[in-house]
Formats: sequence, structure tokens, C-alpha cells
Amino acid sequence: MDSVITAAGRALAAGDPLGALKRVALRDDAPALALRGLAMAQLGDLVRARALLRGAHRAFQPKEAVARARCVVAEAEIALVSRELSWPVEALDAAQATLQAHGDPMNAAHARNLVLRRLLLIGRLDEAELRLAEIDPAKLTPALQAAHELVVAGLSLRRLRTGTARAALTRAHAAARAADIPALTSEVESASLILNEVAARWISRGSVRALRLDDVEALMASDTLVVDACRNGVRKAGTEVSLATRPVLFTLARMLAEAWPGDVSRELLVDRAFRARHADESHRARLRVEIGRLRAALHDVAELRATKRGFAMATRDGCAMVVLAPPVEEPHAALLALLADGESWSSSALAIALGTSPRTVQRALEQLGAAGKAQSFGRGRACRWIMPIVPGFPTTLLLPGPLPSD
Amino acid sequence: MKPSAAEILREYGPFPGTDQVAGVTFDGRHVWFASGDKLIALDPESGETLRTIDVAAHAGTAFDGRHLFQIAEDRIQKIDPTNGTVLGTIPAPGGGTDSGLAWAEGTLWVGQYRARKIHQIDPETGAILRTIESKRYVTGVSWVDDQLWHATWEGEEADLRRVDPQTGDVLDIIEMPPGMGVSGLESDGADRFFCGGGNSGKIRAVRRPKKARSSGDDK
Repeated sequence: MDSVITAAGRALAAGDPLGALKRVALRDDAPALALRGLAMAQLGDLVRARALLRGAHRAFQPKEAVARARCVVAEAEIALVSRELSWPVEALDAAQATLQAHGDPMNAAHARNLVLRRLLLIGRLDEAELRLAEIDPAKLTPALQAAHELVVAGLSLRRLRTGTARAALTRAHAAARAADIPALTSEVESASLILNEVAARWISRGSVRALRLDDVEALMASDTLVVDACRNGVRKAGTEVSLATRPVLFTLARMLAEAWPGDVSRELLVDRAFRARHADESHRARLRVEIGRLRAALHDVAELRATKRGFAMATRDGCAMVVLAPPVEEPHAALLALLADGESWSSSALAIALGTSPRTVQRALEQLGAAGKAQSFGRGRACRWIMPIVPGFPTTLLLPGPLPSD
Repeated sequence: MKPSAAEILREYGPFPGTDQVAGVTFDGRHVWFASGDKLIALDPESGETLRTIDVAAHAGTAFDGRHLFQIAEDRIQKIDPTNGTVLGTIPAPGGGTDSGLAWAEGTLWVGQYRARKIHQIDPETGAILRTIESKRYVTGVSWVDDQLWHATWEGEEADLRRVDPQTGDVLDIIEMPPGMGVSGLESDGADRFFCGGGNSGKIRAVRRPKKARSSGDDK
């Protein structure tokens, strides 16, 4: 490295992108282009940053493998922050291997962290957990340690292990302060807010309570039968039945749980579950079929019985029953949960994150847009979606992914 | 001329509180090395660091017998090693693309990293007196026994090479092990070179070959 690149690199590492930029603003050689790209990324001009990094990648010689790999990692980070989830991860894996092989463990660790953040964002928690175990945080610099602990916290929150998450956030906070990078510290602080915010609503016997994430964790660990409207499943003490692909059965289960210990009339069940105003004989027949299916699905945890006017549900061991509902009930709540991170998303990235088709996402976005709950800017492939105002509810329970104990 | 393999005699560092080694020089007893925002004196026998001067230190370091010279950003600082005072600055010839620095017979020699050049400059004004071309990226620069040596680091490969100070012709090459970069270069005047190890934060002592030592005046 030459002297100004060294000076600019030190400024950048200390969280002073303007100081770095000031030193290399007029230079167009490969290392200067790379540094300018990194500085622009820190300043939030991601489009310019990406162009500069691509220019740097071209300007480095093919033999300068490490420098080129660093450009790839930086570009991958920009793609992640821009929520371009279709960015080729193979290139990132290859860059990480190059950095590791050429004695740059810190940038290799940064590359691994990006892979993990992407897996977390698209709900591939098992894979993220597996790859997390390969990393020894003690060997990382404070800034990388903070980033690592944020991933640990993110994973633990999604797994509903709030104690682990809290401990990871505490370590992240200490590491961020040791790194002395204000942006990192504020990122950790905003991540920590999730623990104190309303994560879900508890509905039982006609009353509603707001729950924080650790309340949810305690509820899940208790004896109570939980009809989980955040994940569309029924859970009790380690046993869980997913009804995510069977919306009619879930609607019935939720109605019965909300009425517990009372019953629900056939008319109301038909009205809500089948969206039929007047229950005729064919609807009643279909209701019997669906109740039979639900009875079979919930056989281990609950029993369903017919009453004079409809149906009722009871737990097998006489314990309580609650409905766990999202803090705000909306159609397309999972979509809004993703948009709630405040980033601008492409519809294709949302489709990747939710594991659904781009067309489905597109339709949902149009509805949300018409209702003023999402906003788009740009056209065609450059079109991005954001939330008009970032709401204060956390997204953890609504984000895609298997149930916490999976 | 057949390249020889570097013989690493000893490794120093990484040192607490530093994450990189840029320039290195030798004042007859201690190795001084540049580490971003400070110059650090190392005792090459004990391996202990002895003193620190807080001064911007981003690339090459040199010693003229009384003063330290240190490249910081786009200038060269002249420093009194007894108290750390910056006595004066001159512009660096590469305008900040500079790497290595050496002192010889009243002039400074400055490596210009990716331009693959070595400039001889006037230490009072910074004026360029002469420029020789290298085939590879130039990092450290050093004079020993009337021989001009410079280090290279390009495409993950590094070596130390002796060049003709008039023509730039390569006279000797000592190849570093794969992946071991050299960011700064200085000899102890005898049989050792001290090599800055860049982001590894290390300094390595490399044996200076006998052949090179005995052929000081050939061309």
C-alpha cells in the first residue's frame, strides 16, 4: 500500500469516511477506487459505491487476488444492504476462500458474516446456525465481533431464545464501543430495542394483553396450548402442529381457541372460515369434514367436540388455551414485517425472503400500495418498495422461517 | 542471475496496539518502524519495543545518522528522534502514492509503489533529481555498502532485489516465501535485512547473502 491509501484506509477503519474520501477523491488507480467505493458505501450512496467497486475490481490485475476478493466482499455487502438477495452468493463464497487462503482472516470473517446475515434474512436458520458454529469470535477484531454477535442475537431472537439474544447484544454493545465506530454502536442499540417492544398479543377469554418477546418465550415454554397466529401453528410444551399450509383449519382452530372454554356457532365458523354469509347444507357438510381434519391434526394436544349450536375445543389435560396474535393484524403482515427494517426492497428480494412467487408478492405489494401501507419508487427492474413510516413493532415473529424449536 | 530463496532469521511482532508495519529503518542500534500514527523503536536483540513517537507514519522510514525521515500522506517529515519534534516537511515525489524511503550520501530515495519507480530527491526541497524504473511494484528501499536494494510486492509475491542505481538493471533477487509480503526494507549495514510485514504487523530479519556482500562494486 502507498502512504495516502494507508492514511485513507485508517480513516475509514475508524469510521471517518469523509476523511478517507478527502484523501483519495482525485485518484483513479485501483486501490483508490476501492477506497472511494467503501467510503461512498459508508456514506449511503450505494449506487455510486457499487460502480466504484466494480471499477476497482477491473483495475486490479488478475494476479491481485486478495484485492479483487475484497472488492467482491464489499459489493456483496452493498447488495445485502440494498436487499438484492439474488446477488450471486457463489462469488462471495469464492472470495471468502481466497481471503482465507491468502492470510486475510479478518476480511474472510467479514465475508462469512455477510453469508450469515443473508441466510438470516431469508429465514434459513438451520443453515445459519450450522455456519455460525464454524466461527470463533475470540479471534475477531472488535468491529467484527460486534457484527458476529448481532448475527447470534438475530438468530436467537428468531429462535425465541431471548436470554441468549440479550447476552449476545450485551457483548455486541461492548465490542462496538471497543471498536469505537458510532454507526455500529447505534446499530446495536436499535437492535436491542426489539427486546423491549411489543412482539405479540395474548388473547384468551375475551381479554387481550401485549407481550414482549421474553413473555412469548415464557408462554411457549409453559403448559398452555398456544394457537400461534404469527406462524399459523398450534403448539403445546414442545409438541407443535403447523397449519401454515392449511389456512381454513387454522382459522377454525383460532376461532375455537378464542371462544374457549365456550363454543362457536356453525354459522359463525362457516362465515369466517369459508367466507360464506349464509350457511347452507353443503357448507355444514364441509364444516364437518374440516372439523374432522382439524380433530385429526390436533389429536395429540386438543380435542374437539360438537355442541348444540356448533363446536368447542378443549385441551387434553385441562390446561389453559390462548391465541398468540401479531401486534398488528394486517393482510400481508409478513411482507410488512420485512419492509419494517426500513430498507428499500425489490419485489424479487421479498419473494426470495418469503419463499413465495414474485407474482404473489407483486399482487400483495400492489394492495399494500393502494392502501398506503407500502410505497414504491423507480420503475421496472429498478423498482423498490419501502414502508412510508417505519412502525415501531418488531418483526421477529413474523419473519419467514421454521418455528423456534425446529 | 539466479534468484535465491530468502532465509528468515527471526520474526518480531505483531506488537500490542499496532496492526500494521509500513516503513522500517535502522539507527545503528534500534529498528524504527512506522505503524500508522506512530513510530516505534524495536531492540532487534531482545525483541522488545523501547520507545514510541506519536507522528503520522503511513509508509517509508529512513535515518540519516541524526534525523528520522517519515512519509505521511503526501509529504515527508524530518523528525528529531530525541524528542519527536517534526523539524520540517517536503512534498513526497509521488504525491501520496509513495511507499519506501532510504537515505544515502545526502539524498533521499523514494519508492513509488504502483508506478514501479524509485526517485532520488533533494532532502531540502523535495525536487526530483533522477528516476529509475522497476519491473514490479516498489515497496521498501534501502542502501547498504553502495548497493541499492528495493522490496517488491505484487500479485501476492514479494522479493528483495538489488538494482543498478544508474540503469535500474536487476543484479540480485532474493525471493520471499509465498504470501509473505514486504512493506518496508532496511539493512543493519551487515548481514541482515529488516523487512516490514504490512498488515501481518510483523517485522522479519532476512539474511543478506554473502555473494551480494562481497560484490559491492560490480555493475
